[in-house]
Amino acid sequence: MLDLLIIGAGLTGLFAAYTAARAGLRVRVIAKGMGATHWHAGTIDLLGYLPNGEEPVANWMHALPQLPSSHPYRLLGEETITKALGDFQRLTAAAGLPYQRAHANMNLPVASASEEQTSHNLEPDGHVRDATPGQNCQLISPVGAARPVYLAPTAQLAGNLEDEQPLVIVGLEGMPDFYPALIAENLQRQGHRARSATVALSPLTRRSDNSPLQVARMLDQAAAQAQLAEMVVDVVEAGERVGLPAVLGLSAHTRLLTLLHETIVDRGSRTSQSHDGPRAGLAVFEIPTLPPSVPGMRLDTKLRAQLARLGVRVEIGMEVCGVRATNRRIEWIETETGSRPLRHRAHNYLLATGGILGGGIRGNRCGRVEETVFNLPLSAPQTRSQWLRPLFLDRQGHPVFQGGVSVDARFRPLDQAGAPVYDNLWAAGAVLAHTDPIRERSREGIALATGYAAATAVASGL
Amino acid sequence: MQTVSLNSVGMTLDACIKCNICTSYCPVSEVTDSFPGPKYAAPQSERFREIGLPLSEAAADSNSPSHGRGQSPDASVDYCSGCRVCNEVCPTGVRIAEINARARAHMVATQGLSLRNRLLGRNELMGRAGSFAPGLANFILHNPLSRRLAAVLFGVAAKAPLPRWHHETLNRWLARTRAQRLRCERKVVYFHGCATQYYEPFVGIAAILVLEHLGYEVVVPPQNCCGLPMLSNGEFGAAEGYHRRNVAGLAEYVRAGYPILGTSTSCTLTLKEEAPELLDLEDDAGSQALKFATWDIFEWLRDGLDQGQLPSDLRPLNRTEQPFILPYHAPCQLRAHRIGKPALDVLARIPGLDLRESHARCCGIAGTYGYKTEKYQIAMDVGAELFDYVAAQAEESDSVAAGSVSFTACDSETCRWQLEHGTGLPSLHPIELLAASYGLYDLQARRPVDGN
Repeated sequence: MLDLLIIGAGLTGLFAAYTAARAGLRVRVIAKGMGATHWHAGTIDLLGYLPNGEEPVANWMHALPQLPSSHPYRLLGEETITKALGDFQRLTAAAGLPYQRAHANMNLPVASASEEQTSHNLEPDGHVRDATPGQNCQLISPVGAARPVYLAPTAQLAGNLEDEQPLVIVGLEGMPDFYPALIAENLQRQGHRARSATVALSPLTRRSDNSPLQVARMLDQAAAQAQLAEMVVDVVEAGERVGLPAVLGLSAHTRLLTLLHETIVDRGSRTSQSHDGPRAGLAVFEIPTLPPSVPGMRLDTKLRAQLARLGVRVEIGMEVCGVRATNRRIEWIETETGSRPLRHRAHNYLLATGGILGGGIRGNRCGRVEETVFNLPLSAPQTRSQWLRPLFLDRQGHPVFQGGVSVDARFRPLDQAGAPVYDNLWAAGAVLAHTDPIRERSREGIALATGYAAATAVASGL
Repeated sequence: MQTVSLNSVGMTLDACIKCNICTSYCPVSEVTDSFPGPKYAAPQSERFREIGLPLSEAAADSNSPSHGRGQSPDASVDYCSGCRVCNEVCPTGVRIAEINARARAHMVATQGLSLRNRLLGRNELMGRAGSFAPGLANFILHNPLSRRLAAVLFGVAAKAPLPRWHHETLNRWLARTRAQRLRCERKVVYFHGCATQYYEPFVGIAAILVLEHLGYEVVVPPQNCCGLPMLSNGEFGAAEGYHRRNVAGLAEYVRAGYPILGTSTSCTLTLKEEAPELLDLEDDAGSQALKFATWDIFEWLRDGLDQGQLPSDLRPLNRTEQPFILPYHAPCQLRAHRIGKPALDVLARIPGLDLRESHARCCGIAGTYGYKTEKYQIAMDVGAELFDYVAAQAEESDSVAAGSVSFTACDSETCRWQLEHGTGLPSLHPIELLAASYGLYDLQARRPVDGN
């Protein structure tokens, strides 16, 4: 029998599965469909805004004590969060998709050396060495706003707005879902030196309406990479760093990043109009796009590959339709099929189905807000008129998005009286109460840290 | 003709949040511009189709205000292969592939059906016709000249992996070996499907041998094509005839509580879900009873395994100490059952078997799709992901130390033929491996070890 059955295949579920499998547990992941990883920017946002804060959080470690005591981060504490992030960094580095802090490392990524490079940052005890721990950086959103981000894949690092180097945002004619002029204008209004430019995709494809993913697949080809590099370098002026939509290849993007960087640096040194000295960072970076998110898919692919290597099966297309519990223990759950329900048995169950966006929480027309798998008690308002505040962009956010499953320090869901609902049920990720991950810009941080903590708690109880 | 205005398929339309995950994973739109992707062909185009409105005479009259209702804004939906990967990955539960199947049926109802698609939908008829003289039929169908003619005249791709008639149908084997068949109280019904009856009776034989080894009498009642080839070619009326005959023919066994087991994942999926759902038979008592009585054979075997009822006398498939490396592809049609990968769960019990699970989305053939000249290359391009996976396993393996890859395995017949076509390796049904491991079946000769 399985030690742990995880419901949900987003970042929470996959990272919890990784953590549990490495602790020696027999794990399986089931989910209704592909996870919300496909919708996010591919960065690890840890804590960008405090519940009432207007100003972005500069350092999440400093901001932690200001969070309400019921917030999942307060249940975890800085040490557990740091451990989870360290494990995530080691996992992604080993998978060839290293995640780093924009401050900590601005070296040129070379495909073959990426693993070695990241390992330089690891202390002998496995912790990531860091001069300014907890410091967020500011990356660029798809509309040109500043996004507080903690860890970013190499492809996005050079977009850090704390760096003063001028920016050119390059759009692709033939990929309508990216707006270079809008981004540049918004950046200018925020005091950055930025302009926009466009290169045509027509030499590469006859299609005039390409999705981010179509462009990314095309740019996995070496010939297309070379051609794009030539076109991009023509619109870059000396001393500029180049922001491109996050479509620079699905599987071979490191090669294209390196090629773009080298082509730009090479051209810059030949024209020698720049008086800047040699720079540490990349000359090029990616800006996330509208979904499908290519950086999110890269991360999802790497996580799944790692799980397959650990013998963990991830089965999607499975929606829970029945639960049986006796004596405060989940005995089995059932998922719907083309015929009779399919029964799954495990010693432990981890709920990682997400919030309203991910489908873990559903509101109905009568105003009831429900947890969709176990019908657990929720902290969300159960009256429709109390779901939302009158202002769409209210700085306090909206109550319905802050509602969720309350858990104890071991991440077991609690009933109204504050006792665990089931002894073998755990919950992690956006389904949790007392956090508003989208508003807080804490989605991925909550996913990794609580997924890690819940999986660790399950492992320690066996 | 469709009649129902609100149905379980159409109702899922509003669940679409336009997240594009379906289009990201659609294997067809990745390789061709002929298909814009599931999101565009299903939830978005469906808004223009006025779902569920019957194609009344008024709608066909160009002067009527309801003219054109139910029609597709463009014909690209015909390039949907029906693999259902979109349904599988959709995080909000939209029945995208079924919306497309209904849209295609609307097109067929208004514009008619080509002779080629009519023929491809009638594999039972083709199978039966050829089985009277299999040698002659194989010669007629498989010589290069007739394949060229079929390509030019009908649009059946010249290189596509058409099956060969077996010299003996499953029914004739059953009649010939009647004396050796197990008779007992515990009974199961076997639904063989057309491919097993006419082209691969050895798959059915392997299934029967395993079930008898477990102590079950295997009842093989007269049965029809499940109707799926017609459903996927938009010929809903004829498919309904087949389905209703199966419901009637199997009713007495369903009532008696016998499980209906199938080795063809697409047939069992059709009995369980596709036919009742697409043909609006979800309220039909007979269809519903058959739906809940039908099992994929490994789904049923896994149930037995979980209850400790599967004999454990499984032997290694290799006589030597080498592991038997086997790339296994769970076909889309099986994944659409939403029962996990039961063959993996059961085959994992075979000692020395090194199963390598392919995560490829689709082999490309999608039933009759890859047999059409205009779609053959699309099917091969879709399948490349799987063929490359198999090739990588073969390259990785070292025939001296670690065993070699000499087979692939897959639960669905057309997928196996496409796998053979794309990799050059024979492709087995997992039940053949289980039968071999029980010592009942010869994998190389694909026949029972007793020579029958």
